[in-house]
Amino acid sequence: MNPLDKLSEEMDHLVSSLSSQPVVGDLNAGVTQYSFFLAIGVILLLILIFAFKNAQQKQGIAPKGFFVNGMEYLVEFVRDDLCKALIGDEWRVHFPFIASVFFFILINNIVGVIPGCKPGTGTIGVTAAVALVSFCYFIYWGVKKHGVFGYIKSLAPQGVVFPMNALVWVIEVFSTFLRLVTLAVRLFCNLFAGHVVMGTFAILTSLFMEPLLQAVSAQSALTAGASVFWIILLIVIYAVELLVAAIQAYVFTLLSAVYVQLAVADEH
Amino acid sequence: MNVIGYGIGVLGAGLGIGLAAFGATSAMARQPEVQGRLFTVFILASAFAEALALIGFVVTLIA
Repeated sequence: MNPLDKLSEEMDHLVSSLSSQPVVGDLNAGVTQYSFFLAIGVILLLILIFAFKNAQQKQGIAPKGFFVNGMEYLVEFVRDDLCKALIGDEWRVHFPFIASVFFFILINNIVGVIPGCKPGTGTIGVTAAVALVSFCYFIYWGVKKHGVFGYIKSLAPQGVVFPMNALVWVIEVFSTFLRLVTLAVRLFCNLFAGHVVMGTFAILTSLFMEPLLQAVSAQSALTAGASVFWIILLIVIYAVELLVAAIQAYVFTLLSAVYVQLAVADEH
Repeated sequence: MNVIGYGIGVLGAGLGIGLAAFGATSAMARQPEVQGRLFTVFILASAFAEALALIGFVVTLIA
């Protein structure tokens, strides 16, 4: 029997288990597996932040130990590489927002790669909500800086002759709204696709192992040997997913910071 | 059919990541001292290109 025969059936099962399933109640008013792990991620983040604050206050200025130093490294990374480098002199105003987005996405992505857990950001609803918050934030700061009319006008580039000017403005408005979609879809697709790929290799490992558990023979031992190959691939993909979890949080936050910077930039 | 469509979609992303790696390696060869910063930019550029391939993958599975 070919172990690959059952693959498509198992894949359908995997994809349906990764779509939103209600744990309590129904889909309209209830808790899906994603909102459950989202809540776990947020609680974990709050615990980490308050533990960090406590430990830092107790230790004084010089940080000691892995935990405090690690958290400080992360916060300083967000401050220096994302806020100061991109936004410039006004980084202090935007730092709380940028850091919140970064840590929210990072903790949810990391909860997601723990076996048995789902990422809170692995559903389009959550990523669209975070993208909408980011979108409203940079529009708000653009309007606050330039005024409503000034912000709308600032989307068009300076120093372009009239008919082209209007055309570029239309394209710019369109691409501004497209930012909302791309931010949400990029994060969602990375998490979803990553989990489907990990799940596929896990399924392949178990499918190739099954014949050996049913009957021991030379043939089944050979197929079981192939499952060793699948599990090595699974471990490699798992390492890649850990990297993706960090990179996607970074990319999302970086783009938010860039959009804020573009919105508050002075006319030139 | 889905699989073929995804394969075609991956071609573009593969080219994109390949070009990013080409640019990063040749720039590193010219100026080894900016290696750290270039690596970050390279990872970012690959993440953008990769996202397009993943959109194709997810649409294949969902639709």
